[in-house]
Parts: sequence; structure tokens; C-alpha cells
Amino acid sequence: MRRFLSTVAVVVLLGVAITAPPWQAAFPLALAQPQRSPAAPARSASPTYGHVLNVMQREDLPQGFAIHESATNSTVWPSLPCFNNLVMFDPGNPLERPDTIVGDLAESWTWRDGHRSLLFSLRAGVRWHDGQPFSARDVKYTFDLLREAPDATVRLRINPRKEWYDNVEAIDAPDPASVIFRLKRPQPSLLMLLASGYSPVYPAHLPPAVLRTRCVGTGPFRLKEWRKGEFVEYVRNPDYFVRGRPYLDGLRYIVITDRGTRFAALQAGRLDVAFPGEGSKTLAAQLTAAVPSMVIREVATKVNDNLLMNVKRPPFDNVKVRRAISYAIDRRAYASAVHRGGAQIGAALPPRPQGAWGLLEPELRGLPGYGSAAEDRATARRLLAEAGYGPGKPLRVEMATRAIALYVDAASFVIGALKQVGVEATLRQIETAQWHPIVTRREFLFGTNLTGIGTDDPDAVLFENYACGSPRNYSDYCDQDVTRLMDRQSQEGDPAKRRALVGQIQRRLEEDAPRPVLAWRLDYFAHWSHVKNLVPHHSVYNWSRMQDVWLDR
Amino acid sequence: MSMVIFVLLRLAPGNIVDILFATGGYVNDADKAAIVRELGLDRPIWVQYVGWLRELASGDLGKSYRYDVPAWQLIRPLIPVTVELAILSTLIAVLIGVPTGVVSAARQDSVVDHALRIFSLAGLSMPSFWLGMVIILALVAGAGWIPPVTYVSASENLPLHLAQFLLPALAVGYRSSALILRMTRSTLLEVLHEDYVRTARAKGQRGWLVVCRHALSNAILPVLTVIGVEFAFLIGGLVVTETVFNLPGVARFLVQAVLWRDYPVVQNLVLFIAIVVILSNLLVDLLYAWLDPRVRYA
Amino acid sequence: MPDAEAVARGAVATGRVEARGPARPGSTLIWFCRRKPLGAIGASMILLMVLTALLAEPLSTHDPIATDAEHTLASPSARHWFGSDHLGRDIYSRIVHGARVSLIVGVGSTVLGSLLGGVIGLLSAYFGGRIDLSAQRVLDILQGLPLLVLALVMCAALGPSIPNVIVAISVPIIPRAARVIRASVLSIREMPYIEAARALGAQHLRLAFRHVLPNTIGPFIVLATAQLGSAVLVEASLSFLGLGVPEPYPSWGRMLSGSAAEYARSAPWLVLFPGIAISLAVFGSNLLGDALRDTLDPRLRGTS
Repeated sequence: MRRFLSTVAVVVLLGVAITAPPWQAAFPLALAQPQRSPAAPARSASPTYGHVLNVMQREDLPQGFAIHESATNSTVWPSLPCFNNLVMFDPGNPLERPDTIVGDLAESWTWRDGHRSLLFSLRAGVRWHDGQPFSARDVKYTFDLLREAPDATVRLRINPRKEWYDNVEAIDAPDPASVIFRLKRPQPSLLMLLASGYSPVYPAHLPPAVLRTRCVGTGPFRLKEWRKGEFVEYVRNPDYFVRGRPYLDGLRYIVITDRGTRFAALQAGRLDVAFPGEGSKTLAAQLTAAVPSMVIREVATKVNDNLLMNVKRPPFDNVKVRRAISYAIDRRAYASAVHRGGAQIGAALPPRPQGAWGLLEPELRGLPGYGSAAEDRATARRLLAEAGYGPGKPLRVEMATRAIALYVDAASFVIGALKQVGVEATLRQIETAQWHPIVTRREFLFGTNLTGIGTDDPDAVLFENYACGSPRNYSDYCDQDVTRLMDRQSQEGDPAKRRALVGQIQRRLEEDAPRPVLAWRLDYFAHWSHVKNLVPHHSVYNWSRMQDVWLDR
Repeated sequence: MSMVIFVLLRLAPGNIVDILFATGGYVNDADKAAIVRELGLDRPIWVQYVGWLRELASGDLGKSYRYDVPAWQLIRPLIPVTVELAILSTLIAVLIGVPTGVVSAARQDSVVDHALRIFSLAGLSMPSFWLGMVIILALVAGAGWIPPVTYVSASENLPLHLAQFLLPALAVGYRSSALILRMTRSTLLEVLHEDYVRTARAKGQRGWLVVCRHALSNAILPVLTVIGVEFAFLIGGLVVTETVFNLPGVARFLVQAVLWRDYPVVQNLVLFIAIVVILSNLLVDLLYAWLDPRVRYA
Repeated sequence: MPDAEAVARGAVATGRVEARGPARPGSTLIWFCRRKPLGAIGASMILLMVLTALLAEPLSTHDPIATDAEHTLASPSARHWFGSDHLGRDIYSRIVHGARVSLIVGVGSTVLGSLLGGVIGLLSAYFGGRIDLSAQRVLDILQGLPLLVLALVMCAALGPSIPNVIVAISVPIIPRAARVIRASVLSIREMPYIEAARALGAQHLRLAFRHVLPNTIGPFIVLATAQLGSAVLVEASLSFLGLGVPEPYPSWGRMLSGSAAEYARSAPWLVLFPGIAISLAVFGSNLLGDALRDTLDPRLRGTS
């Protein structure tokens, strides 16, 4: 009898031991419960293979996977896993600097001829997802396409970053494993531009239109399905050129347009990872209160809020009026009110320490809007009086902004601040479809705008937004001195001298105030603690390849 | 009506090309003109209209401007979702509305009657999307759980599928149940005051029996009418509910298509909705005529 | 549709009775309050909303568009009766001003739609024949689309602004108003005194406005009150989707969308108060509409 019982006991114990793991799978809800203890240490310290990652996608991809025909993170974020660049920013390092650039499709590179020519040695044995071999031909094709080379046979339907490659004279592909960029004048920044998420390599054997419906790249994940309006699904690329990567079996970018539902889904565990740039400080606090183990990282986004003033039309052709407006808006109060502290103040370039070129506090203090609020408001009133406006004759302007919550919140604050110096501003909301045509044709007087920086380099910021005649220089600002400085800094090889020049430019821009920068947004990027090795950078665009990410379940 | 929608859409400032360039972050008039020509948007409106009619006649419903695939291909998988949601909502509405209407009529002017009428009126007054939002908030706060955010089909996982559809169906169905309750109550009241019912009561038949056998069968007709008509009007409630609950249905897609000025998709969807509404009205009329031969139509 | 005909017939029947009713308006009011307490409650709710809208400035505690960095997402307190939103704007003041917007849109669209529909219905019924038939075709088409869908497309076409929202919401009301008016005109047309008037040579238009119209007022009012609630709901849905009343006018529907939805989990007052405001406004108009319908034709008590 005793032997029988002990046999039974042993059998039962064995059975329990064997079947234990599936119990956790049967109660997935348990994972979604708020955990009382802080982040538990990884059950295994080294990466494990498998699982599908559920990622937040804020709207359906506007142009499919055609990164080169898009200027929004709604395209870049879900498309990067499919592609590779020539070079990229080290995924594990939040900072994006020239010294954090590592090779992607290029194994090595050398500058020659005093930063006038850049030679890349490409990896061997790389294949496109459809099986075609990758070679230098693809690189030449991509960048000839981007710079709209005279002998390029194909054209992009929309080409937002043509100016990035204005300085490229020619691209040579002497053999399948080498590419040479020959420049018109020295430009050390070219590498920073090539490392951005906006610079993947396109396949030469397919027309660019194909990428608007499906993705063919060389990247760690292959497109499985794009169910329009619902989700994008990727599977692991078994032939990826980095051996042992990726760790994940697949990715799922789930489209949720309703803002209330997005973060509810993250909190409930239906999503593992948030969308960069969408996490405000308040949301982060809310998430942490509900799920204490949620990982939240404060990073810079390289997106700034700025004011647009059409300098070709009165009253903004008068620099005093522009400066007055800039003085009227206390930047610190702006960051505190509109972003609840989740923003940094700074001028035209992303502020330090996350950015490399921004002005520091002492340098900012003398500029409009960065001093003491009361004094600045007095200065604003004085300047307005000098320009002929005052209590008897108030300045009335119509402010245009996009009809999106982000923009409208900023505009509301600005209107309130202007009211305090006697400027009466009314708001005109413009639907997305009309915003860019209106600002491109300069059919506005005054506006609140958001600008995202593709890569932390003066070349990517200054020419696009402040150069005479640039289509995205919405204010139509044109100053010969500043333009000369911009050209000089672009060719300057010595980092210290270059920084001095860029600082000078930024100060000039804030003093002339064609496009005063209000604040630089911070992102409180959230993901569940079981997502490992996902390091958000101080930018929303450049780090979402998901190559080294693994799930600890 | 198609003409009305067609013209309205093209009157709308901004078109798909503007939006495409918006996502590209700039505008280049030359590039834009090329795309406009490619899509045929530069032809005069009546030419475009005739072209569309011709396409329709040959069975071609046009290609989505946004996704560059045939519009019907995009719309077809969404229809079952919306239809299922509509059916579930109507079912819930009937299950709530009819019994409560019966009780309310049987206990006319009592506390129960007033309470039920207020309950139903509240359902008519609440924005269904607000109700949906509150439901989700309560779920997240209380249970840390929300329904799946991607579509789970019945064959994949039936309990989860039902959970996904039940909550939005409740949010929408509550509203419809109010109308059904009112209609049930009013017709039942009318019938209950008819002579033959009073006769049955005088003969000593029990209250509930009278109600169910005599009254209800006569009251069903107008109730069915309301159900049929409401089914078509559910679409309005579904538009916002599908957005809040992230269900991939026709209504949510319509909103996106309108915002994107994706004319072919909007035109087709509106046509489809109109056909559904007309068909259901027709069905109701036929049902009405069949069930009540006393009704004559001019 | 049988519904409208029954209403019209009933209203006409009662209209004749009402002509011999109480003479002083004050006693009518008291009679109404006593007979229909729920209707009186509804009427007072609507009245409250109207008063709030008219007296928005004195009733508010803060400027509805003023942001306040120090007190964002504050919970309801003495300072912010209903709490504050993510920009520090006072929710109570925004709701008070939102009443104005909702009322303007609701009343404006109902009046516009009812008037247009009424005129169409009147003329269509009076002239009859081919005019009538073609008008009915057009109205069928307009009624064929659900309210929200049509308003959606129209708002996208016309752009977000208050006048456009009013026009957009009024369009679907036109066929309903036209139906009601047409039905009552049709019933009255055959009445002896109309034939007599015509025999005496009275002009068509004079007949239409002097004799027929007063008898259609009853169902008209019922329709208008019902549509008021519906218009407020549609405006809320449109604003929620981003196509309705634009900034900076506070709109109850827009207060429920965007950032509010995101922060609602830790600040539920953001979502509760606007929703309750909308519900109460529509509730009041429904109560009033029900009571008015009951008064004008007891046979239709409780009909939708």
C-alpha cells in the first residue's frame, strides 16, 4: 500500500514538473496585471531567440515603405526593419554623433582629398529579400535617384531631401564592392546624413513605385503582410548578413489612430513598445503608476516647436515686430505649460547634451524670450511701440496652424502669451491636406509649426530651413551674411571652429527672429520590461531597425 | 445622389496629391502636376463623373488613390466586420428593448415604467463613443485588460472574438434598445386598450397570458419596422465606435478615406452604405406589407 | 412612412381642439407643468442650457482658452470646479462656453433644416403632381444616408468652421421636416374650408401661409425639439473625429477627443464632465420633445 502511494506521489510530481511551463501560457492576463515589485532581473542574461514584438503605429503608412518619398516618422518607424543604410548610428548608443557611426552595408570608409571624396567598401554576400544580390550598383542608383542626377533614368515622385545631396558631384561604382562619393566642395557632414534613418539603400532592380505597396530591402526582417489600415507584419530574414541576428521571430506594427486607445493598449500589454515622440511626461507618469515595471526613457526627439513669420509681408517685414513677438513668449513657461516640463529650450539646433551643436544656457540668456519674463514682456511692448503699435492701435494677426492637437496646444499658449503684450491673435486651423500647400506658397502671415530634424547636423537643418529660396524656408528669410556663414561651416573640418560658426549662426537667427524656436520636445519612450536591447536614441527617426532586440518571456 | 457625393468630394479643398506631399513635408508644383495628370484629377468634373459612371457600368470600382490597389479589394474584408457588429448590436438592442418594453407597458405609469423610460432615454442621450470610451477606461483601470486591438476572427479564438465585439455592440446597441423599448411600449399600450384585449381580461384570462398571446403578436409589426430602420442607421453610431475600439470595419475606413480625400474609396463606400440602407428600407416595407395586408400603398 | 402621417393626422385633429383651449399663455404653462412633469423638467434643462449659453461670461470662473502652466490636470477643487485639462484650462468654464457653441449649432441647424424642409414640404404638397414626385425623389436620396456619414463628407468638403457645421448637420434634417409638413398639408388640403377659400379665389401662396401653416406648427415643434438633441449628438461626434467646430471655440465633443482621451485614465474628469453635459442636453430635449408630442396628440403617447 505504501509503495503504491509513493509511486503515485512520484508520478504526480513528475507530471506537475513536466506540465508546469504551459500554465503560464494559459494565463496571459497575468502578464498584464500591475506588478508590485520593480523590474525583475532577466531570467536569462543572454539573448534568446523567438517571439513576435507588438509595436505601436500611430497611423497607417502614408506612402507604404517608400522612405525616400516621405518626411514623416509614420513611414520611417515601421519601414526601417526592412532596409539597411550604408552606415548607421550605433543602435546601442542613445547619442548620435560622428563617432557613434558604425558600418551597416559598408564595412569601412575613408575620406580622401580633404573631405572631398568618400570611399566605401561594401560587404559581400548580401542579398535583397527577393534573392537578388546586393552590389555597389544599388548604392549608386539610390543616391543618383536622390540627388536627381542628370543621367538618372528614374525619378522619385516626391523627393523631400534633394537638398541633402546638392553637394554630390558624382557617384562612382568602380567595382561591385566599392562606391565613391565625389563632392563639389568639402563636406564632413555627409556621413551624418548617410547614417540617418532617412537614407536607406533602395534596390536598383525595382522601380521606386514598388516600395509604396511592399517592401524589398536587405534588412533583418522581411515583410509578411501589410493589412491596410490594420497592421504591418514582418518575419525574420533567415539570410540576413549579420549572423545570429535578428533575435525576434517577427514584428507587428499595429495601427491605432485613436489616441485614447493607443496607450490603453500599451498599458494592458497588447502592445510591447510605444511610438517615438508620442509619449508626454504626463502619460509616462500615468503608465508608471499603473505598471511600475514599465521602462520609460527620457530622450530628445529632435523635433522643435517654432513660430513662422512671413518676413515678406507686413508687419513681419519689420524686424522689431518679429523680435517683439519673440520676446513676448517666455520659453521656459512655454516648455512648462505646453509640455509640462517635457521639453528643452534651445535655438535652431538641438540643445546639448543630447545634441552636439546647441547653444548652452549662458549663450541663450541674451536672446529674445530666454531672459526674465517680466523684462522680456516690457521689451516686447517697447519694440511694438517703436514699430507704431500700442494700446490705442493693437497689432492684430491671424495665426495659422495645423488642425492637430500637438500644434493646437502650442498655438493656444502663444495666443495667450501675445495677449499679455497687447497683440491680438486669432487662430485659423488648417487641415493636413492644405497645410503644406499653404505654407509652401507662403499664403500665411503667422503660424505655429513643428519641425523634425533628420540628423543632428547643421547641414541637415540650416540649408533646408534658412537658406534663401529653399522651399521649406517658410518664412522666406534671406540674409547674405548668414548664408555665407552657413557655407563656411559646412566646409570647416575643425570641429571647434565649426561649432563657433554654428553658434554664431544660431544667435543671428534668434535675433533676426524669422522663425523663433520655442522649445525642443522630449519624448518619454515607454516599453515593457520584457523587451530587451531596445535603446531609444535622442532622435525619433534613426534607430528602429530592431536588429538586436529580444524578448524575455 | 452619387452625383452629389461626387461633386462634394471634389469641391473639398485639397486632394490626395496635397496629402501625399504633406507626408513628404513639402510641395513642388511641377511634381504635383504630374501626379494630378496621372490620376486624371485635372479633367473637368463632369468628365470625371462620366468616366466614373462608365467604370461602374463595366464593373470596375476604381483604384484607391492612397493605396493604389482596387478599392473593392480594400473594402471587401471590412464588410463582414461591420455587418457582424451591426447584427450583434441589433440583437442586443432587441434583447434589451423588447422585454423591457413589454414590462414597461404592462406596468404602465408605475415606478418600474418610469425607471425604464428614463433608462431608455439615457441611452438615446449618451454619445455612443463616450460610452465606448468610458467602458475602455473602466476596463483598463479595473482589470488592466482591454479587448484585442487587432481583429481576432471567430475561427481563431471564439471567446476572444466575442469579447472583442460584445463591448462595442453594447455601446451601440444600448442606444437602439431605447428606440425599440419606446416603440414596443407604445404599440403594446395601444393594443392593450383595444376591446378584444379587455374582453379577454374580462373573461378572466391571466394578465401575462393576455399580454403575450394577444397583444404582443399585434405589436410585433411596428417593432419590426423600427428594428429594420434602425439597422440602417446604426452606421452612424458605428463610425465612432469602430474608431474607439479599433475594429477594422467599413465605417472606420470611411473616416480615414474622407480625411485622405481618397475619392474612389469614399464614393464606393457611400454607394455601398446607401444601397444597404435602401435595401433594408425595402425589406421593411415588404415585411410590413406581407405581415399586415390592411396596409395599402399609393 | 406611416409614422409621419399618423403624427400629422393626430396633430390636425388636436389642433382643432386646442383652438378652444385656455386663453392666457401663463395658464397654459402651468397646465403643461402639471400635466407633464417630465416635459417640464426637460424644458427647464433646455432653459438652463440656454441661460448658460447666454450668460457664459458671468458664469465662467476662468477664461476658457487661457492656459495655466502651474495647474495642469488638476482634479476638481475650489479653484477649478471641474478640474483642469492638460494645458491648465478650466474645464468648468469650457463647458459653460461649450454650451453656447452646442446651442448655436443645435438650434441653428435645426432651424435651418426645418425651415428649408418645411418650405419644400409645403410647396411640394400644395402643388402636387410632378413637382411633388420629383421633390420626393430628392428627399428620398437625402434621407437614404445616415446623418453622420453625410455630415462627415460635408464637413470634409466645406472645412471645419461653425457655419459649415451648421449647414452640414441641417442637411439630413431637411427631408424629415419636409415629410412631416407635407403629410399635414396633404391632410388639410381636402378640408372643406380650404376648398371654400379656393372657391373664393384666394391666391395659392396666401392659402399656404395663412391657412395651412398654422396647423402644421404642432408636429413641426415636435420634430424640431427631437432634432435639437440629434444635432447636438452629431456635432459632438464630428468634433470628436476632428471635423467639427474648430479651435479655439470650446466644443463638448472636441473636449472628449485628442489629449483628453490619453490622460483620461489618471484624470477621468476630463472625459466625464463633457460627456455628462452632452447627455444632459440631449436628455432634456428628448424629454421636452416627448412631452410636447404627448400634449399635441395623446393617441401617440410614448411613440418614438
